[in-house]
Amino acid sequence: MKAIVLAAGRGSRLGGLTDSRSKVMLPVAGRPIIEWMLSELADAGVKEATIVHGYAGSRILTNLGSGKGVGLKLKFVEQTSPHGSLGAALDALSAMSLDEDVLIFNGDNIVSSSAIKRLIQSESASLLVAEHENPQEYGVVTLNGDVIEEIQEKPALHEAVGRVVSTGALRCPVLWRETFEKTVKTGLTGIPDAIRNLLEEDVEIKAIRTDTWVDVDHPWDLIDMNTILLHRVNSSISPAAEIHPSAVLSGNVHISEGCIIRPGTVIEGPVHIGPNCDIGPMAVVTGSTTIAAGTRIGPFCRIRSSFLMEDVQVDSGSWLQRSVIGPATVLRSHINVDVGETQKIGTSGEIHVRRLGLVTGEACTLGHGVVTAPGTILGSQVVVERRSRVSGEHPSGAEISSGGV
Amino acid sequence: MCGIIGITGDKEGMVSRLMAGLTKMEYRGYDSAGVCISHPEGLDVKRSEGVLDNLKETVTDMKDGTCGIAHTRWATHGPPTEENAHPHCDPQFRVAVVHNGIIENEVQLRQILIEATHNDCFQSETDTELVAHVLAQELDAECGDVVPDDEQLLAAWRRSLDRFDGSFSLAAVVKGRSDVILVARSFSPLILAHNGAGFLASDVSCLVGMAKEVCFIEDGDWGLLHKDRMELFDSEGNPVSRESTKLQWNEEDAELGGWPTFMLKEINEQPAVVRACLQGRLTREALRGVKIPYKPDLVRIIACGTAFHAGMMARHYIEELSGIPCIVDHAHEFRYGTPAGPKALVLGVSQSGETADTLAGLMTAQERGYPTLSIVNVETSTIARQSDAILGIRAGPEIGVASTKAFTGQVLGGLLVALRLGRLTNKVHTEELAVISNAARRFPNAMERLLASTQLEQGLKRARRLFHDKNHAFFLGRNSSYPIALEGALKLKEISYIHAEGYAGGELKHGPLALIEDGTPVVVISSEGIIQQKLFGNAREVSARGARVIMIAVEGDEEAAAHADVVITVPKTHPLLQPIMHNVVCQLLSYYVAMDRDCNVDRPRNLAKSVTVE
Repeated sequence: MKAIVLAAGRGSRLGGLTDSRSKVMLPVAGRPIIEWMLSELADAGVKEATIVHGYAGSRILTNLGSGKGVGLKLKFVEQTSPHGSLGAALDALSAMSLDEDVLIFNGDNIVSSSAIKRLIQSESASLLVAEHENPQEYGVVTLNGDVIEEIQEKPALHEAVGRVVSTGALRCPVLWRETFEKTVKTGLTGIPDAIRNLLEEDVEIKAIRTDTWVDVDHPWDLIDMNTILLHRVNSSISPAAEIHPSAVLSGNVHISEGCIIRPGTVIEGPVHIGPNCDIGPMAVVTGSTTIAAGTRIGPFCRIRSSFLMEDVQVDSGSWLQRSVIGPATVLRSHINVDVGETQKIGTSGEIHVRRLGLVTGEACTLGHGVVTAPGTILGSQVVVERRSRVSGEHPSGAEISSGGV
Repeated sequence: MCGIIGITGDKEGMVSRLMAGLTKMEYRGYDSAGVCISHPEGLDVKRSEGVLDNLKETVTDMKDGTCGIAHTRWATHGPPTEENAHPHCDPQFRVAVVHNGIIENEVQLRQILIEATHNDCFQSETDTELVAHVLAQELDAECGDVVPDDEQLLAAWRRSLDRFDGSFSLAAVVKGRSDVILVARSFSPLILAHNGAGFLASDVSCLVGMAKEVCFIEDGDWGLLHKDRMELFDSEGNPVSRESTKLQWNEEDAELGGWPTFMLKEINEQPAVVRACLQGRLTREALRGVKIPYKPDLVRIIACGTAFHAGMMARHYIEELSGIPCIVDHAHEFRYGTPAGPKALVLGVSQSGETADTLAGLMTAQERGYPTLSIVNVETSTIARQSDAILGIRAGPEIGVASTKAFTGQVLGGLLVALRLGRLTNKVHTEELAVISNAARRFPNAMERLLASTQLEQGLKRARRLFHDKNHAFFLGRNSSYPIALEGALKLKEISYIHAEGYAGGELKHGPLALIEDGTPVVVISSEGIIQQKLFGNAREVSARGARVIMIAVEGDEEAAAHADVVITVPKTHPLLQPIMHNVVCQLLSYYVAMDRDCNVDRPRNLAKSVTVE
């Protein structure tokens, strides 16, 4: 069975993190999210996938090549229709020649190969559903046995009738294309809109449950996704990495080629370190942490449960936890990131985030001795002057001076 | 220029394997193509004019054999017709030959052959056909009509080769011997490999996916390629064996994936190229890896085409960072020019490492006793092996004929050489190196932001319209942006066939201004500080005369918009790296202008990727 993977959206709720790439290309636990997804497809026996790209599509093309790295034959379609996920699916459907049902997935979340297999085996139109602690952010599904009765898109909290939500993963009969087209003509642009129309037409759609769905909507979701995916990473130390004998590695630790781990550094897994990173001396990196390619961590730093993207520079003595640091960001020495509870605004009301440190977009610069309050979120190219205290959310290009906000 | 490939061994899929090899090598020439399969009963030759797709139609019913050779041509002798397409045969169809290079004593040989046979029996105007005739003659002398054994083949091949002057890589098959290919190399590249079968090719990228290890045979080597071994001799006739090296690239690097063209793919690969090229090299200790034997009094850079512009950037870096004077020459001018001066270092720049003139220039320099250092992409190339030291730019295979990512790599290579020289002259201190290193770490991300920006997309959309129906365009730069102006103009003319010239802004009033007409597109590549003001002046001068100005400026440059019809901004980065960022915009602009004109950007007319003839 062939698959369509939707990857045209930006992921604008991730702020500056998606300035130069779409959400699907964020390198969580060492691989772009879409690669994790595609690997699950390959494991489930899918041979060919059509990827619909749009925003920053060139990053997807550059990264995935012809798909050998994920074990799939890949085809690419650029989204030309302006009509959201439905338009993207239609663009893919018209580029493919299909004589059987097709699987449709979002490239920015991950469902397991066993769930995909069950979709393939279901032999009828089906939707993959999962329980979620914030159902109001998704399409909430009402079930009658294993048949879907109703989907409420992002209902207000008091309306939410359950915790079962649509993952967006779908086994779609070729005939649905007509409904998709009709739905677009009425001005609706989401696949859930089309599914609601199908339900109204009394089309039977089966629900298949999964409990291994990993989704990212807001920046702090990346920390959880990172934790979950790091458990799938095997320990391996590249022979082309230079690890000082006095460094201590324990647990599942992946160190890629070209890395230098300097004396006295302690790394406790699960930790994934991408190619050409330079860490230490005397740095402490503990799980669950991803450090992407080309990052430099200076002496006496302590990094915990964080996701550092490419080409980040952390100077000496900085403490960082439950944070997401965008690419090419510079954290000068003795930066302290406080972690704690925080309230954030989601798409439909407030979301309580239990523990969050700092989130930065691309190429931010935090000066020496900056202290950040729990849940501080910066856009891209934000400059924070040395010794400032910073909290709250700041847009791209902001310059924050002493005293902070 | 021209690509040859040969396979001997397994019959299975012979024709399709040869065609796959040709496809990967098509960038070396696409005037005509041909293939010859050697069957026990005789030679089967198919040729066609024009691009490879024409040949693909002709070979659909061709029978697989155990041995075959094929060729894609960039015409040097005679127009690109089917008659002039390789392989070439003798009148009796006893031998078939493919050839990359030039036989210099062609005229005399042709005369001798005509006199000997008393008729003009040549089918083509090519020098290659002579090789077929001479080899057939020598085989006849060696063994008459009988099928030759290995010894007789080698004797006839040796006597034939002795009669040719010039640069060539040759492969030939002989009727009745469908188990072996005759090979020879003189100055043109030729690579052999074994992987279940015997392979030969002009280019490593052709063998990617077919073999894991390849053997670079040396100038003057000749012999027989069997399916499981090679029998090689040097120019003196002594048996030699040459070592194999592991292939630097994997197959996927040389494939299109989801991209419409290689050029667009390669433009978008540049952030990764910057990362790879500078990785681990910007430290005090690592810079010592740039092998320079002494502190030179003079650096002479030799290169051609895009690499020449990268050489000009290198000169800017070297003079600024080390204070050592530097001269940049076209390699073809250098080799016939003056000696290099006292205690000079000669720096060669070539993507393929096979550029004939650059190679000859480097060898001239070596003969004069100067140390040579080469900035190359293909680290197993002839130039890489001939130079005293190399600096690999790690750009991966570049297939698009118009060089993009290799230019970026070459410029960075120049920067590394300059930093090394700056360390030698004590002009680059540790702190400065750290500043550059930190800036370099952030640079790829800035380039990624540029490539993803809607501002760029929209700017290009407006800028490309200004080239509609235009036949001339100008690029202006000053100082560090001057080489980018030259490179921008070269890229535009290469792929869009619009006549374009790059000038230093200061030259404008000394002539070029006369060419500005109403609507002439002028691309101004900004620079810094006082220079920027002077460029604004130039922009005013051309726009006062009707030109449409496209300004490539740095983000936050508020003034740029006042002097241009279209402004495209790029992220600000370290001044040494800024020109590389500007150049990305020039590349994309040329690309889209060429696309608007329906040009084949990956295979521009009359050009080929590696210029392996002088």
